[in-house]
Amino acid sequence: MKTLSRENLNLWLDGLAAQHALIAPHLEAPGVFYRPVQRAQEIAWEAGRPVLPAKEFLFPPSERLLKVEKRGPDVRLEASPSAAPQVIFGLRPCDARGIRVLDTAFVDTPPIDSRYASRRENTLLVGLACRSMGASCFCTAVGLAPDDPRDMDVMFSDRGATLAVQALTPRGEALIANLPLVEELGEVEPASRREVGGLPTAEAWKESYSDARWAKHGERCLSCRLCAYVCPTCRCYDVRDEALPSPPGEAHFERLRAWDSCMREGYRLTAGGHNPRAASGSRLRNRLLCKFVYYPHQYGPAACTGCGRCLDACPVNLDLLEIGGALQEAAQ
Amino acid sequence: MSTADGADPMYPLLGRLVSSRDMGREIKLLGVKLLNGTQPRFPAYAPGQFAFLSAFGIGEAPFGLASTTERGEVLEFAVQRLGSVTTGLHELAEGDALGVRGPLGNTFPMEAFQHKNLLVLGGGIGGAPLRPVIHSVLDHRQDYGQLTILWAARHPSLLIFRDEYESWRAAPHTELHLTVDEADAAWDHHVGLMTDLVRQVAPSAANTVAITCGPPIMIYHVDKLLSELGFAPEQRYVTLEARMHCGLGKCGRCNMGELLVCRDGPVFSMAQVGNFLESYL
Amino acid sequence: MSISEAMQSAARDVLASGQVQRVIGYETGPHGRVRPAIIDRPEEAERLVWSADCTHNLTVYLHRALNGENGRASREAVAPPARVAIVVKPCDSRAINVLLAEHQFSREQVFAIGMACEGMRQGAPASAPEATLQARCLRCRERVPVVHDVLLGEPPSALPEALPDEALAHVRDLPPAERAAFWLSQFDRCIRCYACRQACPMCNCPTCLFEQEDALWVGMRIAPSEKRTFHLGRALHLAGRCVGCNECERVCPMGIPIGLLNRHLAETVESLYGHRAGMQPVLSPVTGMLSAEESAP
Repeated sequence: MKTLSRENLNLWLDGLAAQHALIAPHLEAPGVFYRPVQRAQEIAWEAGRPVLPAKEFLFPPSERLLKVEKRGPDVRLEASPSAAPQVIFGLRPCDARGIRVLDTAFVDTPPIDSRYASRRENTLLVGLACRSMGASCFCTAVGLAPDDPRDMDVMFSDRGATLAVQALTPRGEALIANLPLVEELGEVEPASRREVGGLPTAEAWKESYSDARWAKHGERCLSCRLCAYVCPTCRCYDVRDEALPSPPGEAHFERLRAWDSCMREGYRLTAGGHNPRAASGSRLRNRLLCKFVYYPHQYGPAACTGCGRCLDACPVNLDLLEIGGALQEAAQ
Repeated sequence: MSTADGADPMYPLLGRLVSSRDMGREIKLLGVKLLNGTQPRFPAYAPGQFAFLSAFGIGEAPFGLASTTERGEVLEFAVQRLGSVTTGLHELAEGDALGVRGPLGNTFPMEAFQHKNLLVLGGGIGGAPLRPVIHSVLDHRQDYGQLTILWAARHPSLLIFRDEYESWRAAPHTELHLTVDEADAAWDHHVGLMTDLVRQVAPSAANTVAITCGPPIMIYHVDKLLSELGFAPEQRYVTLEARMHCGLGKCGRCNMGELLVCRDGPVFSMAQVGNFLESYL
Repeated sequence: MSISEAMQSAARDVLASGQVQRVIGYETGPHGRVRPAIIDRPEEAERLVWSADCTHNLTVYLHRALNGENGRASREAVAPPARVAIVVKPCDSRAINVLLAEHQFSREQVFAIGMACEGMRQGAPASAPEATLQARCLRCRERVPVVHDVLLGEPPSALPEALPDEALAHVRDLPPAERAAFWLSQFDRCIRCYACRQACPMCNCPTCLFEQEDALWVGMRIAPSEKRTFHLGRALHLAGRCVGCNECERVCPMGIPIGLLNRHLAETVESLYGHRAGMQPVLSPVTGMLSAEESAP
């Protein structure tokens, strides 16, 4: 295996931060988050899974789609600029899989979402393998592993004084081409993994649609949307025009998109007053079935990476493993 | 803005409002012509498709295309004022710029309808996406059988395309039946729900395709009745609506189960809808 | 009989006798996490528990339960229960009074199973047995709910010394510029998930001002200006209404000290008006209620 010394890694990361935007796990008051860092020493090395996933760097919480300038009856439109290059370092496999899942909707399925594609083309994914799984992690239940390198451009595994390095894509190879890698004997020690079962198949989820317990699960749900906001793959958004400061005689606006979630009570409310998902049980069912049935139907992969954030974040302990397990039992 | 193929699908084409006329209570028929110049032309579109209209400064929303490519360059939309975007569109003056994104969605299978009788049922503003079907049939009259149009609204002031009824009736092998829930002094046609009118007209299901659009509850009851009258699921078509923000299958909002109304619809046969995991109601 | 058993017995009785059609309490879920439980059959009462992890304020469910908006996964209308029983701690019970004063439901619709409370543990709803009590509990002077139809548990004969609110004192001592900088930097971490609002029993506007579709008051951007407006606005809307259950701060994924801001305003209202939210079913003096005539345009 190829390895890199810790000092050389830090030098390289400092260099990256000077050239592009370098995003890495960083300790803040409430926990570790993926954040832009200026120097390798700002990186939180011993952290577990960061509180929020990395999707915001490809799909920001809110962003401008275009600018609108009105003068009298006329309108002029202006596109938003292309994205700047960025490297996400220390990415966990569950979060890299989240990005790959978003790719299937935004880039792989036409028409291409320009804003996402622009950021994606300019982003390199550099992973750091987890050594073990956290208490709420269940990546193994969705076919992932804590050290799974598949969705990265480059994958690092921390061995203490050195790190093992692996390039997975041509862009990844180019990125590490000039690193002083050392060939060492042996293999990278696999991460300690915990097999988590209990997730129903897509068919079983689909058949659970009319299960009466969805109403019961929904009764506890606060429609707080935390599950969607901490999820690596949730990507529903809202679009609206909002005013900008304008020169005299003109009215300027920006067309924004911002994160929204199907868990919100008014998510499907039309101007005419029709709301097909006014019942919280129907919204909860929609979100879970979207993850395991609807998203795969439209774009390919299941939209769950087993990161476990929803299990930690839910204020009332709605647990998709528990719900899924109960549905499987009922089916048997 | 650029992507591999150079086009941002959320970037609207600029158009000008060439006509805005009252068609009913809080309902206007808007006519839009795209600005010439560096932007591409509006692609050819077929009955059933929709487009997003931008009231710049407020937002954009999806509307069924109520015109046909065949009948001219002007894109027509029937807009009922209900919320902020529709209010913004109503407040535009002729000559104002607005945005158009489309055509989006799937189409009515007009070729499969050829040589069949057509039963077109339009309730309220739901009649708008059915008008291109009617126009296509009238413009290719020999390709289709009997055309029976049932047109309904809650009140006469909410009936749309009233200035065309004469031309519809005048076409060969074409009938028009009207009904309102609540009449006014001048009304002398049928009074009652669409389902009452259907029972009265008693359409035959033989070699007939039914196409319905209207409020969800109307679609539901009409569809049940048509089924009782012998229309098989493959003979019943609907065009559905849902709140949308992209129309491209990205924002995730308009799903009915695993199907997206913007990509897999908005036109569906009841054979498909019968398998919908999630009700459209 | 343990308190859990007494609670189960009370719940079983009110359901079996038909006094209530729903009981909102606590149960233990997987991994030992305590969570809300909403039951409607007497045999389900054995699921209910009482422990120092029962930190949730269950009154957030009252309005929805009594309007039949809960327990549904379809559009079929369901007749709402005429009466629900709810397990309340002293802090939670004050929320019942606030909501009664605001006509969210009537007193007859609620059967309050009041719990004498010795405090909730840090890290609840799944805390280590040796965990200390939450700071808010160490400051709390109440041990008996102000609203209860039945009281379970023994109130202590003497209250321990209440801890001072050091965090609040510290913030109040900051010079204005520093205090502003502190609060604004806290709000900037917000991701506008609105979990704080959804967890709060007092936040029950059908359409939240900060989420209106027409962006009249606050835009949709997840950016500093909008976040600050939301937090400051929500805190003002809660002044004189917040009961200090701290659910807002517990659920926030970004560690924003929302409870601290609400306490600041609560104490301000108390010192100006002598009003403490929810001690009685009366409106906060800083809340106005328009009569039908007054609110006509």
